[in-house]
Amino acid sequence: MTGRQFAALLRKDLRLELRTRETLTSVLLFSVLVMFVFQFGFANERLTKFAPGIMWATVSLAAILVIGRAWVAERDQKVLDLLLIAPVPRGLLAAAKSVTIFLQLFLMELIVVPMVGVLFVDGPFAGDLGLVAIICLLADIAIALLGTLVAGLAVFTRARELLVPAMALPLMIPVVIGAAGATRAVFGVANDMPEYVRYAELLAGYAVVLALVAYATFEALFDD
Amino acid sequence: MTEQTKSRGTALWGMLAAVLTTLAVVGIFYVAPEDADQGIIQKIFYFHVAIALTSLVAFMVAAIAAVRYLRSRQQRWDDMTAAAVGIGLVFTLLTVVTGSIWAKASWGHWWVWSDVRLVTYTVVAMLYAAYFLLRSSLEGDRRMRSSAIFAIISFASVPVSFYSVRIAQSAIHPVVFRRDGASIPGEMMIWFVISLAAMFAIFWTMVQLEMVQRQTERNLRHLKLRLEAR
Repeated sequence: MTGRQFAALLRKDLRLELRTRETLTSVLLFSVLVMFVFQFGFANERLTKFAPGIMWATVSLAAILVIGRAWVAERDQKVLDLLLIAPVPRGLLAAAKSVTIFLQLFLMELIVVPMVGVLFVDGPFAGDLGLVAIICLLADIAIALLGTLVAGLAVFTRARELLVPAMALPLMIPVVIGAAGATRAVFGVANDMPEYVRYAELLAGYAVVLALVAYATFEALFDD
Repeated sequence: MTEQTKSRGTALWGMLAAVLTTLAVVGIFYVAPEDADQGIIQKIFYFHVAIALTSLVAFMVAAIAAVRYLRSRQQRWDDMTAAAVGIGLVFTLLTVVTGSIWAKASWGHWWVWSDVRLVTYTVVAMLYAAYFLLRSSLEGDRRMRSSAIFAIISFASVPVSFYSVRIAQSAIHPVVFRRDGASIPGEMMIWFVISLAAMFAIFWTMVQLEMVQRQTERNLRHLKLRLEAR
């Protein structure tokens, strides 16, 4: 029963995304523009050293857009009211939305991460993509969890598009620090595994904290 | 607790805050020894660190009150959450300002990125500023519920923020500025503890006053509505 409900919720989100391709397209376009803004900000400098920072600044800004879209279609079309009437555990709604955000982020990173390498890194980086992918997974879990909560809080407000960045960015600072730190440790010429593990642990720890908070509070968020 | 004993309690806390603050100011400036290394500017330590610790206590109080609100749905817990976050936010900003002054005096710069705590407190201040943005754009029951949830999420992320900024800094920059290690002499420590108690008493008095204010405002609005309905 729960498994089927979860699959149905997830299918709804994915089908919406596949039919419109609205979030992913605009987020990718936005990410490329952010990378160009970085380069223009530094004129003709080579930014190899700053590539991990650019990568995660771009991802975190793009994640704000993704989070901002969560629950919006449901709200606008009154689906949310029906979902809340339906005998679906609230936790399941949160879990399905987190997975949707996670997938959107990860798909975006599949393109953005190699692109940062191509645009900003002098020298080979393809061999490091596996390690960076692990970091992406951990960071995306954390962002998806905090994004689900923040979006759930913001969707009922009058100033949604202002509130999402105001709430999500400070919460994302540890993710940015962890992900950029781990990426810096292995991306390009660097190869510092202990450092990488330390930052990866930070990301995993934060994801656990956020999962516990989400589990504890989600019932209250949608209890009307 | 009756209204009267409650307001008497608030008055007692207020008096305690006044006495402790006076004692702290006198003690810090006239009795406590001057720091051999930093001179007069070291006096800011007594306030800076006390305010910083109190702001963390404030956010903890807010999170506990938020949990109690979600459990009981009684408006007074929402009042307490909002009051504690508000005062905690002011204290956090004061921490950043006093820290910045101290940074200028001892290191020559208003802002030092390698000072872990200054950076983290600023992040925390921005996080809790969002609490009021959220609060002001919601109404009624949902306002109390959403802000309680946000107070809990924020408090859970505070230790992670501290830890993450710390490991990021130590990775690129050794912690050079150890200013308040465990080695403060006793005659400084005692004034620090008094200053800390004073700041906490101020915080707790203000929380209670603000709770009274919020309750009074509601009563007033209620009376007005009843008058208009006549």
